[in-house]
Amino acid sequence: MAVPALHLEKVSKDFGRIIALRNIDLKVEPGEFLSILGRNGAGKTTLLNIISGVSRPSSGSVQLFGTDPGDRENKAKLAVISHEMFLYGNLTALENLEYYGRMYSVNDLEQRIKTVLHEVELTHRRFDLVAAFSRGMTQRLTIARAILHQPSLLLLDEPFTGLDQQAIGMLIDLLKSQKELGRTILLTTHDLHTAKVLSERYIILEKHQIMQDGLMTETNPDEIRKKYFSPLEKAEMS
Amino acid sequence: MRPTIDKTLLIVLLITFLTSIFLIFNWVPQIKASNEAEQIAQKIFYFHVPSAWLGFMSFFVVFVASVAYLATRQRRWELISVASAEIGVLFITLVLITGPIWAKPVWGIWWTWDARLTSSLILWLIYVAFLMLRRYLPDGSKRANLSAVVGIIGFIDVPIVYYSIRWWETQHPNAVMASGEGSLAGPMFFTFMFSLATFTILYAYILRKRYQLLELEDTLNKQFKEMEIL
Amino acid sequence: MRTAFSILQKDLRMEFRSKESILAMWIFSLLIFVIFNFTFEVSRLVMLEIAPGLLWVAFIFSGMFGLNHSFAVEKEDGNLRSMALMPVDGGQIYLGKFLSVTIIMLMFEFLIFPIFIIFYDLQLSFQMFLLIPVILAGTIGFTSLGTILSAVAVHTRNQQILLSLLLWPLVSPIIIWSVNLTGMVLGGGEIGAVFFPLLIRVAAFDVIFFTIAYMLFDFILED
Repeated sequence: MAVPALHLEKVSKDFGRIIALRNIDLKVEPGEFLSILGRNGAGKTTLLNIISGVSRPSSGSVQLFGTDPGDRENKAKLAVISHEMFLYGNLTALENLEYYGRMYSVNDLEQRIKTVLHEVELTHRRFDLVAAFSRGMTQRLTIARAILHQPSLLLLDEPFTGLDQQAIGMLIDLLKSQKELGRTILLTTHDLHTAKVLSERYIILEKHQIMQDGLMTETNPDEIRKKYFSPLEKAEMS
Repeated sequence: MRPTIDKTLLIVLLITFLTSIFLIFNWVPQIKASNEAEQIAQKIFYFHVPSAWLGFMSFFVVFVASVAYLATRQRRWELISVASAEIGVLFITLVLITGPIWAKPVWGIWWTWDARLTSSLILWLIYVAFLMLRRYLPDGSKRANLSAVVGIIGFIDVPIVYYSIRWWETQHPNAVMASGEGSLAGPMFFTFMFSLATFTILYAYILRKRYQLLELEDTLNKQFKEMEIL
Repeated sequence: MRTAFSILQKDLRMEFRSKESILAMWIFSLLIFVIFNFTFEVSRLVMLEIAPGLLWVAFIFSGMFGLNHSFAVEKEDGNLRSMALMPVDGGQIYLGKFLSVTIIMLMFEFLIFPIFIIFYDLQLSFQMFLLIPVILAGTIGFTSLGTILSAVAVHTRNQQILLSLLLWPLVSPIIIWSVNLTGMVLGGGEIGAVFFPLLIRVAAFDVIFFTIAYMLFDFILED
């Protein structure tokens, strides 16, 4: 059997008075698209931090492609897209990508930059400062930055927050094409309908543990919403 | 186990404390000095110097606990480092208060930018900054990491601070433990050592208590969280 | 090394793109000299005696400016988090930031120094070349500690104040020695036997600070 892309066994994270995760068991196969649902403070971000090797679990074991997530080779296989841009406003689009490419030791960098810029349709704006970009354009550049080093695992942390319709559409298309390329994708979101369109499997994090692990085809988003999201947050989402 | 140790420590502490006060004020002979104020002021030496030593010791413990934290990532070490830093600041504060009280009758001034005085003040500032940093950061492993880093750099800096300021002339009385001229006579030496031991027990006791309190806070908060979860 | 160099290149590029801030810094240090002149109305002789200290006050302010700016940029848009995600060594990131902060501070110092010479009417002499290693050693000490501490302070809401609180006491030995050394050079007399041993000592502590910070930087990125 192939090595799973991601394997968490009895992972807990607590520190002093803070409980962030308790007893997480999770296995994700290569090429799988998993949605992580849950309300704010349920532990989604901590989970992503542990998977990306930024944070260490207090107990339990985490394996990314069969090795420790903190390993340099693993970090090179990973890309994170969040509502934070990870871009420098005072650099041009091209300079940002060059910087990232060097930090990730991308081979044939010039060609890769050309390709990704074309993919996100920003070739004509490559010499402009990122600070002058619209929100949607910045997000597109963020996507270009994330796929520049051809990551095997994409982690998306609430990527739809604050995006306009066009950018959301583009992100969805991109995720679909990345999925077709066989990449493993983890997505945390509030948006159940988008999650249903994109992913085949979902887990629900509630009170720092996995409450449900199932297939999207067998679920009704509205039911999940009723069960796991408070009325207050429903209002926030709509 | 714990309560017994604490109780024993407390009893020992009370006995030694009362004894050292007796030794300092009733037993040890007065020094020869030009006036009475100076003679009385000299007594402060038995509080001043042990406080300084224990201050250093506290910061050494901060350093050790910080290294241990980064090696093990156990909350326990973080709590020890905080508790010890707080007590260290307390002791150095005592040093900075008792110093001028002594200096006024003897030197005629409260403060002078002398080597020892300045370096003690800088030392105090380093660890106040350490505690301030913790105030500004939200609780969590990030804060523990950052403060451990500062705890390590801070302590390595301490000897450098002392070294650098020795450049200036000092009028501060010399280290008393040095042998030869100016070393302590028998009863004074005994009283000093006794006072030092008392302060060490005091340190151990406060450290234990402070640590227990911090741990208790954690447990309590965790229990609230559990209640929320269930 | 390539990692550090990429960070350095990125930082310098951004810094020179905001020329206003460089100009603002230069004017600011000019103001320091002016204000000191107002607040201490002293004779020229006394002024000369406190001149080395004043010079370092101006240097420290420019250094603080550079440090605060350098990490504020990283905090914006989550770049600090993004650095933690990169497949690079924390020490290399430290080295890159250290180099950029040091170069920028040295550049400020280079701009400040001529004003200083003019305002205090100092005689130029060959001996003044000895200030180059002095300023270099003092600056590296300041930035090697400053880089790691501003990476710590940037995690708080009160970054600027906290950086001063943390850095100034810790860096005081380096500053004291640098002021002493500067005084020896500007004093104009023979350079005494203390000068070189002291200079070497500052350099030695630079190495110590740098090494510790280099080793500890990984822990700052980690959550």
